[in-house]
Amino acid sequence: MPNQDYNQKIHHDLGIPLQDNYFLDEPEEIIQIKETPVVEGIAEAHVESVEKEKKVVYADTLIIGAGISGMQAALDIADKGYKVVIIDKTSTVGGSMVKLDKTFPTNDCSICTAAPKMVELARHPNIQLITYAEINKLDGEKGNFTAWIWKKSKYVDPDKCTGCGDCAEVCPVEVVNPFDEKISTRKAIYIEFPQAVPIVYTIDVEHCVGCGSCDRVCEAEAISFLEKSEEIEVHIGSIIVATGFEVFEPIELRREYGYGKYENVLTAIQFERLLSSFGPTDGKILRPSDGKKPKRIGWIQCVGSRSEQLGYPYCSRVCCMYATKEASIVKESNPDIDITIYYMDIRAYGKDFQQYYEHAKKLGVKYVRGRPSSVYENKDKSLTIRYKNTLTGEIKEDRVDLLVLSTAIIPSKSNKKLARILGVDVDENGFFKQDSLLTNPVQSTRKGIYLAGCIQGPKDIPDSVSMASGAAAKAVAHVKDRERHVGREFPPERDVSEEKTRIGVFVCHCGKNIAGFLDVEKVTEEAKKLPDVEYAEHVMFACSEDTSRKIRDTIRDKQLNRIVVAACSPRTHGPLFQDTLLEAGLNKYLFEMANIRNHCSWVHSDDWSKATEKAVALVKAAVAKVRLLEPLTEEEFSITPAVLIIGGGVSGMKAALALADMGIRSYLIEKEKQLGGRLRHLYTLFPSDVKAKDVIDPLIEEVNKNKLVDVMTEAELVDIDGFIGNYNGTIRYRGRMRKIKFGTIIVATGFREIDLRGKYQYGINTNILSQTELEEKIKKGILRKPRSVVIINCVGAMDEERPYCCRIGCGVSIKNAKLICERFPDSKVYILYRDMRVFGKEEEEYYADVLKNYHVVVIRYPGDRKPEVILDKNNPKHGSVNVKVYDDILGEELMLPADLVVLTINTEGEVFTEALKNMLKIPADSAGFFLEAHAKIRPLDFATDGIYLCGAAHYPKNLVDSIAQAEGAASRAAIPIMQEHMRGEGQVAEVNEDLCSGCRTCESICTYSAIEIKPRLDDTDRLVATVNTALCKGCGLCAGACPSGAIEQKGFKTKQIEVMLEALLQEM
Amino acid sequence: MTKNQALNTREISKIVFKKGELVKEVEELSGENLFGCYQCGTCSAGCPFVEDMDLLPDEVIRYVVLDRREVLNSKTIWLCASCYTCAERCPRDINITKIMEALRQIILRRKIDYTDVLKIPKKERETIPQLAFVSLFRKNIG
Repeated sequence: MPNQDYNQKIHHDLGIPLQDNYFLDEPEEIIQIKETPVVEGIAEAHVESVEKEKKVVYADTLIIGAGISGMQAALDIADKGYKVVIIDKTSTVGGSMVKLDKTFPTNDCSICTAAPKMVELARHPNIQLITYAEINKLDGEKGNFTAWIWKKSKYVDPDKCTGCGDCAEVCPVEVVNPFDEKISTRKAIYIEFPQAVPIVYTIDVEHCVGCGSCDRVCEAEAISFLEKSEEIEVHIGSIIVATGFEVFEPIELRREYGYGKYENVLTAIQFERLLSSFGPTDGKILRPSDGKKPKRIGWIQCVGSRSEQLGYPYCSRVCCMYATKEASIVKESNPDIDITIYYMDIRAYGKDFQQYYEHAKKLGVKYVRGRPSSVYENKDKSLTIRYKNTLTGEIKEDRVDLLVLSTAIIPSKSNKKLARILGVDVDENGFFKQDSLLTNPVQSTRKGIYLAGCIQGPKDIPDSVSMASGAAAKAVAHVKDRERHVGREFPPERDVSEEKTRIGVFVCHCGKNIAGFLDVEKVTEEAKKLPDVEYAEHVMFACSEDTSRKIRDTIRDKQLNRIVVAACSPRTHGPLFQDTLLEAGLNKYLFEMANIRNHCSWVHSDDWSKATEKAVALVKAAVAKVRLLEPLTEEEFSITPAVLIIGGGVSGMKAALALADMGIRSYLIEKEKQLGGRLRHLYTLFPSDVKAKDVIDPLIEEVNKNKLVDVMTEAELVDIDGFIGNYNGTIRYRGRMRKIKFGTIIVATGFREIDLRGKYQYGINTNILSQTELEEKIKKGILRKPRSVVIINCVGAMDEERPYCCRIGCGVSIKNAKLICERFPDSKVYILYRDMRVFGKEEEEYYADVLKNYHVVVIRYPGDRKPEVILDKNNPKHGSVNVKVYDDILGEELMLPADLVVLTINTEGEVFTEALKNMLKIPADSAGFFLEAHAKIRPLDFATDGIYLCGAAHYPKNLVDSIAQAEGAASRAAIPIMQEHMRGEGQVAEVNEDLCSGCRTCESICTYSAIEIKPRLDDTDRLVATVNTALCKGCGLCAGACPSGAIEQKGFKTKQIEVMLEALLQEM
Repeated sequence: MTKNQALNTREISKIVFKKGELVKEVEELSGENLFGCYQCGTCSAGCPFVEDMDLLPDEVIRYVVLDRREVLNSKTIWLCASCYTCAERCPRDINITKIMEALRQIILRRKIDYTDVLKIPKKERETIPQLAFVSLFRKNIG
């Protein structure tokens, strides 16, 4: 790629840039083969490219990096109506997430959760996707940036390429595959993975030998050796950087584990590719040396992380959980494989993580506390790991057949260059620096440029996604007054109610994908014979631009009013064809797909006639159904442009401010007299020594001053009705009732410490305090000098009653140990812990510094031998106490005298969770934390549209994560408001009120709270189910569950399904 | 710790440490900060003499951090061959080898332990390399 000075150096006779590496992009030798005479060929091509008008794009936000964070940010902004340009340096979107097999702690398939977002990204009318591109140069300032994007040529015409893969089959060149982390090869013409978006092949110019084989076989004639790399000028108002991370390869540092030297030592991301169904072994666990199934697998944690020498000082935040996930997946399907994870601290800090870890132990995954010193290879290529089990004190050697190294997440090597181009700073490790780690985590060091995901440090997927939404909110603030474009314009719909049924059938070849394995001509002929079929044709690629034009014209010419496309999956391609119908003036619900690729040619590739037969049957079923389809309307409703925020802590306030920055009004209600929430009780904030007061006071002032934030303290939501866009709420505000209207809701109700009375002598002895009480005392300056302080972590946590980790306790204990030591340098401080869970940015470093600088002694105790607090018999109320603790490492019981004991108490959801749960119809877990729509990719949404979640109401959280989430929730809540109007689904549930008995079955199972039991309009004595078509997603749950058969699902009515079955049965 | 009582426990118990604490004196002599230790056991797992040690290297650190002077009775500090494997692999960049030397120095500088060459049996004396004696005498001088 040419460097950023490309523009200055281009003045050359022929317009050929002078840098050597420029030529890497231009396959001269290929041109030479195709074009004679040679020299003129090149000259002409370049003159042409210079003369060609320079491409200039005007948009609102530029997003660099199209992984899960970049995609989330792009969709958040585009859904608000702003134009987004998103670029990625690879030839597809998806980033690192799509390389993973499953995701913790839900074991959801990774590609299955990411792929819909990828498709949505590519199809969004407000998003321009430029893959295989990098940023070269940036000018301007916030609100008015100009970026120069270098779009490398793929040498394949994206409009023509159909992704059939014929080219890769014939390509003779094998290249090490970076997508599979180098454990497989691909061809020199490739797509990264089968679900790549856009599904366009790319020629790897560095490895292409220019043989032209691909060109000869490409039926779509998409190979274009003459296509040039080009520079695109992009004008935007703000930028989001989401270029992700790299994975540490222990080749130079941490060589003692044998990576690169011994065949059966893999990194965790390589192992992830082994597990993946579209990885090199199709998901089978085979060891590289002999392709055999291993009997024993080991994982070594913290390879390169938490290392002050030969690695990186920070915690990589995800390794404990991904190792647990990988181990559990292996163990679940192969109980006979012996699995051991060697660790220092298991950091199962997130929502449901601790339970996930306990579950893995139950499955039989062994956890050994001890960091192996070295690894040796045996003759049979198995590996011997030498380690000390620090809990038993034994030095041991274990033999494994396959060793997986949980390697660190490290900053991308190109971070420094990118930072230089963007004019922002990186931190000492090479990650992008925030404006303020604590209070402004998504802002880079330059105004108008925001950060999302792992660009600023290791993160798991939900934290990345939250942060991406947060960055979207901030980025929109700079362009909020620009014109918004929501949805697409289509010609008016033709009324087909009086027309005779005229069905059109289009059968797709999908290159050879379908036509190579079944008889598409026969399928077409059979379709023609069906009643009402006016027109049937087979086409090379139904999804290509020219075919959609053809479908459109045929609909008009032949006056077709029902369309069947026999091709691939409606999930990926249905909306595309529906748009074609809309363009032709047809209701988009008069459409049906028959999946003859995935269901026929792919799975029956070995039986031509059977595959053809099945395809004919599927087409017949689709035709039978489409005949009965009716045009459906999507309900349109308006949105009240205001947001209700419940909870005036830091999350609520940050959300309100982020909304105000986007020009959106909010009501902020707080039950206490003052804003500030829990932060008001704290003294300083982990992992820095910033005073809580210095964060909270300016924030309160800013919120109070902001005209778009309507603050109500001593206020409580007492009643609410309505749905997304149209809520009516009643607030009890200082004794009076106030009625307000709003369009969306953010729940930011926070958390509290659990009631600990009766445990650890808490409440009996005055020298035993909670962390919050300690901070209050320090803040007020009334803490007396203690000689010896014992801090006990995980109090009331990770036990049978409350199986979860409180996420913040370890950090708090370290910060407060430091506070005590600073004030009283002679005091001895002990921290008793189970696993030290300091995982966030700068947290590990802070922890190590406190240990070193203040000589704090940390003692690890086992979960089943909790410390005991022993009171002085003579003075139980005020006397000194002794703390008995079993030291895991020494294997001894220690008795620590203490005149101050501080308990790090577990937390739970706030007291009014229960009331809110019922009022808003949103779910919460047993600990009182609200349940989001999807643990991984929708952490800020509830399943019910219009209600969003942030901060510790979701799960205990420190300030940094709370703020990122709050700004993210603001972005989510702003989407409906900025769209001004919303459309519901067309395929919604419909109630036959005569049949409905009002039994409430449907109401109780509806995930989206779209059904309510109400008195019938014409017979108010009878209760019947009523569907809110604004909320209904058309999932069909209610229709299936209704015992009286009173509910029908539009588009999937009983009759419509029955005729499909009949058609299929006839065929058999 | 019970395995080795070769040293005079009474003398060890009488030692007055600089700045009052064992750990402070070790830190001063070695220049290492022991509190940064995560007790991961890497040092012990890599140590070539660990089979003969009564306290494992990571346990030595733990004893010092907890201010337990019985660590000075340990055979481990004398078995350490100063091969630096522990220091090389320690993720926390703690030079355990230097800590071992500091512990030895605490004893040597107070002349609690010294080798009376004449008490070594002749047969053994003849098998010990000369270099070992040179090192020994240097250490004894301090």
